[in-house]
Order: sequence, then structure tokens, then C-alpha cells
Amino acid sequence: MTRHSLSLLLRNEPGALARIVVLFSSRGVDVESLSLGPAERGDLSRLDVVVDLQPGRTPAQLIKQLGRIVDVKSVVDRTHDEAIELGA
Amino acid sequence: MDTTGAGALIKALEDVGCEVIFGMPGGAILPAYDPLYESKIRHVLVRHEQGAGHAAQGYAQATGRVGVCMATSGPGATNLVTPLADAYMDSVPIVAITGQVSRSVIGTDAFQEADIRSITLPITKHSFQVHDPADIPRVIAEAFTLALTGRPGPVLVDLPKDVLATATTYTPPKPAAQSRPVLSPVQIRNAAQLIGSSRKPVFYVGGGVIRSGAAAELRKLAEKTRIPVVTTLMARGAFPDSHELHLGMPGMHGTVPAVAALQKADLLIALGTRFDDRVTGLLPHFAPHAAVVHADIDPAEISKNRKADVGIVGDCRDVLAALTAVVTRAPDLTGWWEYLDGLRTTYPLGYDWPADGMLAPQYVIERLSTLVGPEAIYTAGVGQHQMWAAQYVKYERPGSFINSGGAGTMGFAVPAAMGAQAGAPDRTVWAIDGDGCFQMTNQELATCAAEGIPIKVAIINNGNLGMVRQWQTLFYDGRYSNTRLGTHDRHPDFVRLAEALGCVGLRCETKSEVDGAVLEAMAVRDRPVVIDFVVGQDAQVWPMVAAGTGNDEVMAARGIRPLFDEEE
Ligand SMILES: Cc1ncc(C[n+]2csc(CCOP(=O)(O)OP(=O)(O)O)c2C)c(N)n1
Ligand SMILES: [Mg+2]
Repeated sequence: MTRHSLSLLLRNEPGALARIVVLFSSRGVDVESLSLGPAERGDLSRLDVVVDLQPGRTPAQLIKQLGRIVDVKSVVDRTHDEAIELGA
Repeated sequence: MDTTGAGALIKALEDVGCEVIFGMPGGAILPAYDPLYESKIRHVLVRHEQGAGHAAQGYAQATGRVGVCMATSGPGATNLVTPLADAYMDSVPIVAITGQVSRSVIGTDAFQEADIRSITLPITKHSFQVHDPADIPRVIAEAFTLALTGRPGPVLVDLPKDVLATATTYTPPKPAAQSRPVLSPVQIRNAAQLIGSSRKPVFYVGGGVIRSGAAAELRKLAEKTRIPVVTTLMARGAFPDSHELHLGMPGMHGTVPAVAALQKADLLIALGTRFDDRVTGLLPHFAPHAAVVHADIDPAEISKNRKADVGIVGDCRDVLAALTAVVTRAPDLTGWWEYLDGLRTTYPLGYDWPADGMLAPQYVIERLSTLVGPEAIYTAGVGQHQMWAAQYVKYERPGSFINSGGAGTMGFAVPAAMGAQAGAPDRTVWAIDGDGCFQMTNQELATCAAEGIPIKVAIINNGNLGMVRQWQTLFYDGRYSNTRLGTHDRHPDFVRLAEALGCVGLRCETKSEVDGAVLEAMAVRDRPVVIDFVVGQDAQVWPMVAAGTGNDEVMAARGIRPLFDEEE
């Protein structure tokens, strides 16, 4: 298992959080901590999450899968404080 | 325009170009059926919502447009779960519209309440629940755009009954901006360089090439470079089977030359494909010497299962056009083609006739393909007959083979054929189905008969859940636990069942009757036709890479391992 810290911006749409959490559970991602709060922009929320990945699964892969979710605006890997930004 | 939520729904569907809906009414969706009564949209009343979903998939794949299915809340909606999962796996653009209980009682376990959005979260690309009728036109337009753009997939729109019934004004939705990923010129150049310096390259072509409409571009680049082509189960038809550069289908039941081409390659040019385990076999043993160029519209697929040396995010049509422009030097492939041609000659597709004198299923499908030809559309269920349909029908055009690849959904063939025929009324549509699969969804033949949708069904009746039985023969010492269906004893009698459903029913049991039966079916134009082809129960699908082994162990027939045994 490898630990990663991700930060997401998502639209305040019903079901957005559910879709992210279901992605974690269906792809076998272990969630260590998760916190949701308002972002600067009123129509967005910020989700900070620490996850454990199974051997062989990369954070880049997970970030791209999160990026496919329509209501996810961006995903940043904060594990090493070097940000990999993915526009959505 | 003053209307209701329901009126806005139907108007919006008309405005986005929907011409047919497959569905069944019920309490929560009932308001939508009232304006539908006088709409120009055709509604096909199915006998089971699963049939509506697969029909929408068949329609989408036959036409390249979005397929639409509709169901009421609760059980109507949950009956759509299997087709949604299927469409998600095979990237089929469909929109499912479901009724929902009224807003005031959502979350109270009201009659026929099911939280269909949550149930389908992992198997939809996106979903909406509309709470304001004024939003309906925008949501429908967005749903259609989402289903079709990027990597296509299923989108769910859940509509509470009171939202459908509430008065609103219709404002036509603005056409959604459609963007395609911009290709990275660096990656295109890197890919072209790898192609130019390769000695044993192969185009590994997946369903994305069909979804993007890139068959012509693929042909251009293949002919320019003379690089061999393999087409996966989802890509059959993306490259003509009659083409000399085509080695056939790779994977668990692929041809020996196609499997060998991937295994021995020094470069895979993977296009719109996802390195599925049915293609790769044991991943660490897959294409061990190959560099990988992987182009896909979905960035999440690149390097998911196999690390790409060059990843290109883009639409396959754009990628192929860009590559064709920059690939100037065709590699020297003389030695590579000598090797592959040798395998083609030594290990062509072939089959034995059953020892008990019964009909060979492969022969039936081979004759069907020859007599019916490549302009028809073929659908398949899941099992041995599906693999034979992939192997023995000769496909020449994209969209001519529609089957359930990723999910492997038994019962797909008949409703998918119904949808394909509704979308392509001028083509002949044949469902090649199993005797097991057919019993899961044949009720839609009543729909076809009532609606004037004259599909043709070839049941490959081997008396068994044949694919499972094959595994029991090979891996469970011939202990045939629960795979005999009784269909050879006429439980049911498919001819009489077909007739009861309003179809013509024919039976064929010997080699000499095959052509006559197919020709007789082809002459029927006013009704669906079912042919019960009674075939031997012991026919097996070969070649085969056994699950959990590497592709080098591909067996041309039982015990014959051409790649494993050969000296390099
Ligand atoms: C809905 C569903 N249930 C079970 C299976 C497992 N399964 C795969 S192939 C198969 C046998 C299909 O039998 P039939 O339709 O007669 O096709 P055959 O293999 O005999 O050609 C079964 C049970 C499946 N793929 N889908
Ligand atoms: Mg069978």
C-alpha cells in the first residue's frame, strides 16, 4: 500500500460526492481520511482525501479516473507538495 | 411555449434528434407518455425493460447516434441496470430516462421507489435527477452530449413524477460545446519514430476505432505502412476481414497469427483499446518484447494495464490522420510477414465435424455469413456461438457486428437486433443467439412482431450452456454440473415458441438443409424469423488461451501449442 494525499475541486451538485466515494470503493481504494468544505468559489466544494493504493495501482491512474467524473473540476496530488494539475 | 415538465421532456428529445424510444410506461413515468402519444418520436413498447436498454444499445451501435430507453420508477428502473452496466463496459452512448416518485416522498420508501441514481453510480458516465421542470431541456441536451462525446457511455436522467406534471415554459436548450482533445505533436512524432524504426509492429485495434468512425483512416495508414492489423472482439469490422493485412481477432479465442503477432511484436500500436484480460491473457507474459504506443480518448485507459512508452490522448480518427501525415518511412517488414504468413498457412481457423454426425455450429455460421453477406448487421449473445460469430462471419464494415464484450451479457442478441433494425430499417439484421441466451430475452420477439421489426434469429441450439460446458470438459474432468438445458429434447420447442410469438419458425438439423433454411428466412420480409439450428453438443471453440495462462500457450486445438513449442 502507498499513501497519497489528494485535493479535489468539485461542483456543488447532488451526487458529486457519492460518485467520488463510489469510485474509491469500486476501484479498491482505501480511504484514510476525508474532509469536505466550501471552496472560495461558491458553486464549488473542496475535498481533501488521504488514500491508500494497492500495489501496482498508481496515483496518476486514480487522478485520471477521478478526472473523468463530470462534476470534478480538478484533482491535485499533494503527497509531495508538487502539484500535478488536471483540468476538467 | 407553455407546457409541463413532461411536455418539455418530449419536446427536448425531439429537438436533440431522438427518433425512437424503447420503453415501458408505469405510474411515475406516466405523465411523459401523454405528450409522447402525439409526438413524432416513435415509441417501441418492449416486454421487459432490459430489452429496452439493449435495444437502445443496438440502435446506438447500428446508427452511431444516442440510443434512448425509458422506464418507470422502482422495478422498471432496476430492470435497466444490466444494460447500463453493459453500455458502460462497452462505451455505448445511451440515455436512460426513468420516472421517480414525487419529490415530497423521495427517501420515504414510497411505492415503487428505488434510488436508481445511487444504484447505477458505478455503471453510468453521469446521472441527473431533475428538481425543476425548467431544467429539463438543458439536462436532456447535456445528457445526449455527455453520452456521445469523449469516451461514449450511458447517462441516466431521473425525473420525479411531480416535476413531470408541473407547468413550465419550454426554452430550447443551447447546443452544448463539443470539444475534442488536442493531440500532442510531440507524442505523435515519438509514435511515428517508433513505427519507423520497428521491425515487428502490429496495429492492435479496439472498439474505439469504431466509435470514432476511424475505419477509413486506419485503412489508409495500414496500407501506407503495410503493418499487420488485428481487431478485437469489439473492433470486428473496423478493418475488412478480406484485407491481406488483417490477421483476425486476438485474445482468448483469437486466431493463432493474431495472437502470435501481439506476442512476438516489437511494437504495439494500440488504438482505442484497453488491454482487456481476454486479449492479454496473463499480463506479465503479454507481448513481452514490445514497445507500446497507446492512443485513446480516455486518458485513464493509457497505462492502466500495460505501461505505454508513448501515450496519445485523442480521438482515434485524429490520431490516425496525424500519424499518416508524419509517418514517411515504412519499416522493412519482410521477415515479419514471412513469419506471420507461415502461421496463417499452418494454422488457419478450422473445425471438425461432430463425431455423432450432428451439425457443426461453425458450418452454420460460415454459411450464414456467405449467404447473407457483409451488408447485414449481426448481433450475438454470449457464449460459444458468440465466439463463432466473431470468428466465422466475415465482417467488412464497422458497425456490422454488435455484441456484449466487456460485460458478457447473456440475452443481448435479440433486443440488440431489435434496436439495430429500428435504427437501420433497410439492412438485414441477424441475431446469432445461443439456446441459453435466447431464453433470457426472446419475449422481445413479440415486440418485433407487433411493431413490424423483422429481425432474423439463428439459434445455435447445442442443447447446453455450451461455453460453460466447454470449460467443464477442459478443466473439470467432464463433470457437467448444471449445463444441460434440455433444448435438444424441445424444452422448449423453439419453432413453436417462435410461432407463438408471431414469428416464422424453422428448424434445421442436417448439413444439407442449412442453405435452404437461411434462404427461406431471407425471403420472409413481413415478420421476424427464428431458425432453430440443432447442432452437436460437443463442438468447442478453438483456438484458446486458457484463463490464467499466458498468450504464448495459445492452443490451436487441444494440446497443440504452436508458439510454446516453436524454436525461435
Ligand atoms: C446473464 C449471464 N448469466 C450467466 C453467464 C455465464 N455464461 C457465459 S456463457 C454461458 C452459456 C451460454 O449458453 P448459450 O446461450 O446456450 O450459448 P453457447 O455457449 O451454448 O453457445 C453462461 C451461462 C453470463 N455470461 N451472463
Ligand atoms: Mg447453447
